[in-house]
Amino acid sequence: MSSAERVFNVGVFFVVFRECLEAVVVVSVLLSFLRQAIGSKDWALYKRLRLQVWIGVVAGFIICLGIGGGFIGAYYRYNNDIFGSAEDLWEGVFCMIATIMISMMGIPMLRMNKMQAKWRVKIARSLVEKPKSRRGYFNIGFLARRYVMFLLPFITVLREGLEAVVFVAGAGITTTGSRATAYPLPVFVGLVAGIFVGLLLYYGASRSSLQIFLIISTCILYLISAGLFSRGAWYFESYIFNKKSGGDASESGDGNGSYNIRKAVYHVNCCNPELDNGWDIFNALLGWQNTGYLSSMLCYNIYWLVLMIVLGLMMFEEKKGHLPFCEKLRLRELNPMYWIKNKKKNEITEEQKAELFRKLNNLEFDGEGNIKHDDENSSSNDKVVQSYENTAAKV
Amino acid sequence: MNFSYLFCILVSLSWVNAATHTFNWTTGWTLANPDGVFERPVISCNGEFPWPDIRVQKGDRVLVYLTNGFNDTQTSMHFHGLFQNGNNQMDGVPLLTQCPIGPGQTFLYNFTVESNSGAYWYHSHTEAQYEDGMRGAFIIDDGENNENYPYEYDEEVVLSLSEWYHDNVATLLPQFLSIFNPTGAEPIPQNLIINDTRNLSWEVRPDTTYLLRIINLGGFVSQYFWIEDHEFDVVEVDGITVERNTTNMIYITSAQRYTVLLHTRNDTSRNYAIMQKFDDTMLDVIPDDLELNATSSLTYNTSAPLAEQSYVDSIDDFLDDFYLVPLSRDALLPEPDIRITLDVAMDNLVTGINYAFFNNITYVAPLVPALATVLSAGENATNPEIYGSNTHSFVLDEDDVVEIVLNNLDTGKHPFHLHGHVFQTIIRDRTYDDAIGEVPVPFNESDHAEYPQYPMLRDVLYVNPQSNFVIRFRADNPGVWFFHCHIEWHLAQGLAIVLVEDPLGIQANSSQELTASSQAVCNAINMPITGNAVGNSTDFFNLAGEPVQPNTIPTGFTAKGIVAMVFSCLAGVLGLITITIYGLMEQTHVEEDFIEDMMIDPATVLEEDDSSNSNTAEKSGAEPTVREY
Repeated sequence: MSSAERVFNVGVFFVVFRECLEAVVVVSVLLSFLRQAIGSKDWALYKRLRLQVWIGVVAGFIICLGIGGGFIGAYYRYNNDIFGSAEDLWEGVFCMIATIMISMMGIPMLRMNKMQAKWRVKIARSLVEKPKSRRGYFNIGFLARRYVMFLLPFITVLREGLEAVVFVAGAGITTTGSRATAYPLPVFVGLVAGIFVGLLLYYGASRSSLQIFLIISTCILYLISAGLFSRGAWYFESYIFNKKSGGDASESGDGNGSYNIRKAVYHVNCCNPELDNGWDIFNALLGWQNTGYLSSMLCYNIYWLVLMIVLGLMMFEEKKGHLPFCEKLRLRELNPMYWIKNKKKNEITEEQKAELFRKLNNLEFDGEGNIKHDDENSSSNDKVVQSYENTAAKV
Repeated sequence: MNFSYLFCILVSLSWVNAATHTFNWTTGWTLANPDGVFERPVISCNGEFPWPDIRVQKGDRVLVYLTNGFNDTQTSMHFHGLFQNGNNQMDGVPLLTQCPIGPGQTFLYNFTVESNSGAYWYHSHTEAQYEDGMRGAFIIDDGENNENYPYEYDEEVVLSLSEWYHDNVATLLPQFLSIFNPTGAEPIPQNLIINDTRNLSWEVRPDTTYLLRIINLGGFVSQYFWIEDHEFDVVEVDGITVERNTTNMIYITSAQRYTVLLHTRNDTSRNYAIMQKFDDTMLDVIPDDLELNATSSLTYNTSAPLAEQSYVDSIDDFLDDFYLVPLSRDALLPEPDIRITLDVAMDNLVTGINYAFFNNITYVAPLVPALATVLSAGENATNPEIYGSNTHSFVLDEDDVVEIVLNNLDTGKHPFHLHGHVFQTIIRDRTYDDAIGEVPVPFNESDHAEYPQYPMLRDVLYVNPQSNFVIRFRADNPGVWFFHCHIEWHLAQGLAIVLVEDPLGIQANSSQELTASSQAVCNAINMPITGNAVGNSTDFFNLAGEPVQPNTIPTGFTAKGIVAMVFSCLAGVLGLITITIYGLMEQTHVEEDFIEDMMIDPATVLEEDDSSNSNTAEKSGAEPTVREY
């Protein structure tokens, strides 16, 4: 491992950056909402609620930093015991997992306004919904609502943070010979970059320059991801070869006999990312190996092919509202999780959404910062809430 | 002429004293359990195992009718160390001095032991066969009851050492020469054996001088050998008697012989350990259950307990054979007429298998025994080309002083053996340890240690890791002689060259002509007995169809590698372009996108498009449309 890779793990940086961005979106949406809804009416209350938000952010951040540090520290302490001789196999598995995770989270970055809209609705729902019964006022749900301005950012940051911890551990493990020292710097830089972009969002930077920034970082993310996929296949090959050769090949450096020549498409007796300085950066960014196995090369190409097809379908769907050749089918419906989690339950209609925002604008807080549920104020609101309760009951 | 007169006298003298020893040996398979741990198939001699030890007298005639009793494998027999002067075809190297003996065939090894005496041995020279047990000691007495031996002793005992595998060569060799053994890691033996057993008890008499002939019949590891609380005098190595040298430990490689005088103690109260120890630096891995020491007993007293394992402080204090002085005190040979410099290296070829190389050539046997080529080539016999490019043959002129400079670029020790000769050991450099960053050191002609005045003579000499040795001999024994590593695995990897010594001298001597038995064996397997390396006797320089080593592994990118790289780069660039297009795509329909995100039926949205838009804008209450769940 080179000195660069020892202190800066590229994969970790991008994962942290992305998760941080999402958390920042949530917080900025919350803050702008507070400013709009309360800032104009009651400045003191606004300031208190804003403090709650920040306390939530900081608390969530500290907790997941603790969990993440502990998790990664424990992993590296017991590293050798966990994997032993099957290290290549595990690296392959982690590469594949990291590929899937990065692939799933990369594209939504390019639809930042979608992300913002999604979170606006989610926040609105959590603020407007009220306890279903009187008894509810004494349960946790009610207490939660009382400190909603603390809990929302707290849970969001915690959730995104833990997600990042899982990603970071995965991305870190996939980097051969990585160690705990490779984490702090990319995590820090990722946080700074995420917050910076979040600020741009909050203060409404020009959309086009922001978008270009996001495109570039997404491109890099997918380069890493394609490389990880290829490396996953490479590690599997390497594992099989080492197993058959009794773990013998690894000792022979990067020369003849260090790889399975029958499956190699190319091999160069240099530029070994595990031994030669500098090449590990290509390894981390592009999946470079000094031996190209047929499977690893195919995987690299297939990854890009699949990505292009999926993006093509998404673009088609964005334009036409459905997939080509099947007018009823949309991309998300191809995802089995859509049916397993029965996401349809969580759907709201356009009208409900409109209603939500209207209610949000009328939302009032009492002197202690608690949300006053104003279902008595308007008869039309009743209907919406009832319909929600009906929905909830059916659920 | 004086010479022929002398010759006649010699012949008649030997006729008077010489006996003829006839052996009818048929190979086969039987089960045996030499190490007492595991019974396995071994190669038998007339159904018996182990193979017999042979004792003859200098000048005796030996007839070995070797019949191949295997079903599907060839065989051969080499009498290790014998000069076979004028009898090159009795040297027993398949495809050099004879055709391999096919199943059911019999080859007659017929020779007189003229110029050798001391400890020798015999073994199959076919594909590591002797690791399956096809070997034995071959002791030559100098005079009746060894009466001409220059040292006094009371009794003579042979101790044959070897490593022992539980798997057959037929299993080990394909595993060894495999793409899945890319480093060429030699098979790890399971045990060390002595006289084809373990925990031997050698009952000795007190205060007696034994002539102990220690022979390493193994095909792989070197062994340290010592006897607890006893010193012994080395008096002979590889059949060469030397000035007495006292030591308490020897280091004996595969195929080496040390004859020592051991004077037993007066005290019979206890027994002493005879120790063998692996040179474990030759093992690529040391399994946890491998016993590196083997203990036998020097038994003075059968009622006392057998000896326990004996430990030594250091195994580095063994006798350095380089400084032994032959009794003959042959002076250092003069500056060589021909110098052959050989660089030893191990590497993989395009098959993925690890091979061994002398100067980047790994030995590949010809299609015609080289001796047959010599005998049929006439004047062309002096041109090394006709013996094939991959046999790595050198032609030596009559009575040349030959110097072999061997530079070991490998990190292992290798015992090298020259057929048909003993050689003077001029230089053997120290180990250069790559573990401490030392690199291979080749022999430097202008800067080397002083040559010994009376160099040691022997037929197997080891080279140290990343080191070098220099040997000299006179080409006074016409014949085709093999020079190779005596680690059988390395020979299988091709660590050998061929020395075609005085080919015209071979042709001139009628005793070198192929015997009837030799020709019959060739005919039986349809192997030509004339022509160059590929059997072409019309054009000796046409080697079309010659067996050659696999190609070297290309360094860097080949065509398919470049294609793969171009495609990968292209795929990457196209993928990035797609991402960019997607990212730059106008997001004019954010609201619709969002509605879709929320999974609202587009039909509903279209129906109520106008009203909902206006409602949202005006934030006025509208009748909620609850979807059916």
